[in-house]
Amino acid sequence: MNRRTLLKSSALAAVASFALLGTAFAENPVLKIGFVGVTSGPAAAWGTSNQRSMETRADWINETGGYDIGGTKYNIEIVPFDDQKDPKRAIAGMEQMAQAGIHYVVGPNVDDGAAAVRPVAEQNGIMYFPYAFPKELYTAPASNAVLGMVANYQSGPAIYKYLMEKNGIKKVAFVAANESDPLSQRDSGSAAAKALGLEVVSDTVTYQVDTTDFTPVLTPVIQSAPDLLVLSGVSPANAPQLIRSAREMGYTGLISTETAQDAAVLQEGAGELANGFISVGGASTAELASDMMKEFVTRYTAKFGEYNDESNTKVYALEYILATIAADPTAIDNVDAFKAKMDTFSAPNPYMKGDAVMQYVGTTSFGQKRQVSVPLVVNEFKDGAFQTMFVAQVD
Amino acid sequence: MEQIIANGLYLGAQYALIALGLTLIFSLMNVLNFAHGQMFVFGGFVTYTVVAKAGLPFVVGLLASAVILAAMGAVAEVFLFRPVIKRSKRDESTMLLAAGVAFFLDAVILLVFGEKQRGVPKILNGVFNWDMRIIMPYDRILIGFLAVALIVAFIAFMQYSRTGRAMRALAQDRMAAQLMGVDVDRYSMIGFALGAMLAGLVGGLLVAVTGINLGMGGPTSVKAFMMIMIGGAGVISGAIAGGFILGMMESVGLTLLSAYGDITYLVIFASLMVFLAFRPQGLMGKPWG
Amino acid sequence: MKTSKKLGLALFLLAVFVLVPVMIAATGRKDLYYTLTSVALLSIGSAGVWLTFYIGRINIGQGAYALMGGYVSAILMTQAGFSFWATLPLGGLFCALISVGIGVPILRLRGVYFAMVTLVLTEVARLTALALPVTNGAKGITSIPLPGALSIGGVTLIPDFATMANPKLAFYLLAVTMMVASYAVLWRIVNSRLGHLCRSLQQNEELAASIGVNTAYLRVLVYAISSFFGGISGVVFVAISQSIYPSSFVVTDSVNFMLYCFVGGLSYVAGPMVGTLLLYFGWDLLTVAKDYQMLIYSSAMIALMLVLPNGVLSLLDRIGGKK
Repeated sequence: MNRRTLLKSSALAAVASFALLGTAFAENPVLKIGFVGVTSGPAAAWGTSNQRSMETRADWINETGGYDIGGTKYNIEIVPFDDQKDPKRAIAGMEQMAQAGIHYVVGPNVDDGAAAVRPVAEQNGIMYFPYAFPKELYTAPASNAVLGMVANYQSGPAIYKYLMEKNGIKKVAFVAANESDPLSQRDSGSAAAKALGLEVVSDTVTYQVDTTDFTPVLTPVIQSAPDLLVLSGVSPANAPQLIRSAREMGYTGLISTETAQDAAVLQEGAGELANGFISVGGASTAELASDMMKEFVTRYTAKFGEYNDESNTKVYALEYILATIAADPTAIDNVDAFKAKMDTFSAPNPYMKGDAVMQYVGTTSFGQKRQVSVPLVVNEFKDGAFQTMFVAQVD
Repeated sequence: MEQIIANGLYLGAQYALIALGLTLIFSLMNVLNFAHGQMFVFGGFVTYTVVAKAGLPFVVGLLASAVILAAMGAVAEVFLFRPVIKRSKRDESTMLLAAGVAFFLDAVILLVFGEKQRGVPKILNGVFNWDMRIIMPYDRILIGFLAVALIVAFIAFMQYSRTGRAMRALAQDRMAAQLMGVDVDRYSMIGFALGAMLAGLVGGLLVAVTGINLGMGGPTSVKAFMMIMIGGAGVISGAIAGGFILGMMESVGLTLLSAYGDITYLVIFASLMVFLAFRPQGLMGKPWG
Repeated sequence: MKTSKKLGLALFLLAVFVLVPVMIAATGRKDLYYTLTSVALLSIGSAGVWLTFYIGRINIGQGAYALMGGYVSAILMTQAGFSFWATLPLGGLFCALISVGIGVPILRLRGVYFAMVTLVLTEVARLTALALPVTNGAKGITSIPLPGALSIGGVTLIPDFATMANPKLAFYLLAVTMMVASYAVLWRIVNSRLGHLCRSLQQNEELAASIGVNTAYLRVLVYAISSFFGGISGVVFVAISQSIYPSSFVVTDSVNFMLYCFVGGLSYVAGPMVGTLLLYFGWDLLTVAKDYQMLIYSSAMIALMLVLPNGVLSLLDRIGGKK
């Protein structure tokens, strides 16, 4: 009897507190933003940092009273869908988003998923922000995809050029995992290097993503004696192992990649051998991060226990979506208004010190503005942290 | 050339150890353990947690991996595989169970250990360099020797201990062993625990050299399947041979075929299929496993 | 008994062709079209896997044929200007043809050996797609047109999908029609002399051979039919996503095809269909569990196996009083 009353009262208390919460939140209308990406299985790392950045930012907005769009404060709700890195599932995810009346979706994380959801997104009037590089996604007649980061064919040449001028590199070698995304990135990277007049000494070596010993993989690459070793589209999991193997085999040249990496993972996996490793990140380094970026990192860490440096770039997509809708409130359920606004949109970049702006770019690469302008920050790894080498902009 | 052989041997030692656990479980219970790769990853994360988070010595981490994985294997056998094998009409039903366990472990690993790549600090510094002909870091050499030592210990255990003999009897003929008074249930459990423990130990060893991440489980299982196919399923010497052969093939193939682009693994896989077409039971297997 | 079965079949057909579209129109849950289309297509692939189970072979390589069928269709449509409707049977036939070449040697394997070889086959298919020039390698094939009009003798049987107001419904109807046809074929095979011979193979291959069954021919025939199913399911998936990549069907898909069969039940023709529906829908429904989605999904799968080790449809046997 006693236990029953206890149960009853605690249930009542729970209901009451939910009701209270409900009223607290009910003041603001809710704006739903979708996420379709991979958060389970082997590639979980890619989508997880994405989803967590979005959730962290959404909580933060809601906690501070909501996001102001056309005079109304909106609470932001993130609706995630785990596509298991399967393009067929990604379509189902996009359909679910359409069903929920969502017009803005971040993801998918890989090429095949981004290509597969295109018909659904276009039929249902959804703008989506993939982290995939195929140009046909962003070039007309496609118009609903917005590249959420800097593509490797944009960052690669900038890095090679910088290293040619500063370090005098002449020979470059590429290795990639034998999967679609890395191989495509290797091909475009290799082409870009050749266009700059570099000698490509090796670009045929590939590896399985589950490789546990990279020495045999790298042996022929190192023998070709490059000045720069490019790890095309390398996943944060493989990067430290590749670096470690290359260094232990006596390779002394430069190593770089065009994807975002995580400093903690590099430190654990390769330690001081990773010093000098060049990668691309958002506004993560101390010199560039604004107070808002620092607060984002603090909140992310508090919420999930550990920060992921990949989130430095992944925080932007949501910010762009909200800021663009705020710039034209009719875009909240009308992607045509959104597309029109994209051409002229400009707002200060809250995550970066100085007068950096958020705007849509991509005219050079895609012929239309279908890319978010994330600062192209080229980092160098040093003793467990990233340091800025140089900053560039994509147009 | 020397480098290629050294690479192949090192790879082979770790592969053989992975394949041993899988083949042991298969020989005892006719279960193709899809979750073997996930158990391997789990073992790696346990060692990581003990060494990098709790700051204890590497050996303690290895022991923790061994104990935890052995317990996990025993529990899986007693509460999952045994009842299903008893009640299912077809042997293969355990495959669904094993796949379910694999998904389950993937989910648990993601929730408990996170999505990131993990590694422990180097346990040995320095690189062995024989005149530029063989270059091999000391930690890799140490892990290679540890793997070989574990393989030898395992063989000795199976050969000379009472438990080992009982398990071999069970593998040869379950019915006969039962009639001879071998406690089938008990040794099935021990065998499963031992197989899982081996997977955990390799994970623990590798976390010191290459690190570990969530994604390595599934592909590792597939690789282990290939090794036991090469050697012959359910045969211990076959698993060891399969491991070393695959290690060598990767090492040689990657060097010889690197000039031809992305076909190394295609060639390895395709030649494996051709090999099996000619020799369906593998090198040392009983026909039809 | 006979009439009750006929009634059940009629009800089933009524449900998939009429009730589902009507319900969707009434509730506005348009996203279900794609989910159900997927289930229908995947269950065609699983039907093939189920058929290989029927001759005692564990097939974890159906993903390879789905990928192959998809690529055949994509290449024929984009590079040779074929109509989708021509590539649909061609994709399937190509897979059947290839499977004969692959099947002759590997079907000699049994048990886990066959299972593992087919598992490797999926990876071989992916790597081949990456390496071949005709598949456009890593970049995949994108911007594949929607199925055009199908007309025979000047009569338009099926209008151009691109001009339809609701191509989702069209894809759904196409998929379920194919599914019904596939399962009709499956049912016909099981209840024919061929099915009888297959069962003899499943039970004891040597015995079957000794009484004059041409086991080698039978195995290859069944495997070819199975691969045809895999191929056509791939073709339609490609038409829906209008793109294909080497990673469109991977090892996970092959394993899933097999799991669908197990979950439904290996002794029931409708097993793979039920299994596909349960597992696919189960995952979608569990989206609400967010971080714990995978944990709950896999736990449910394990629990299912513990409670019903012979598949969900074995429940019918229990209810039917077969004990």
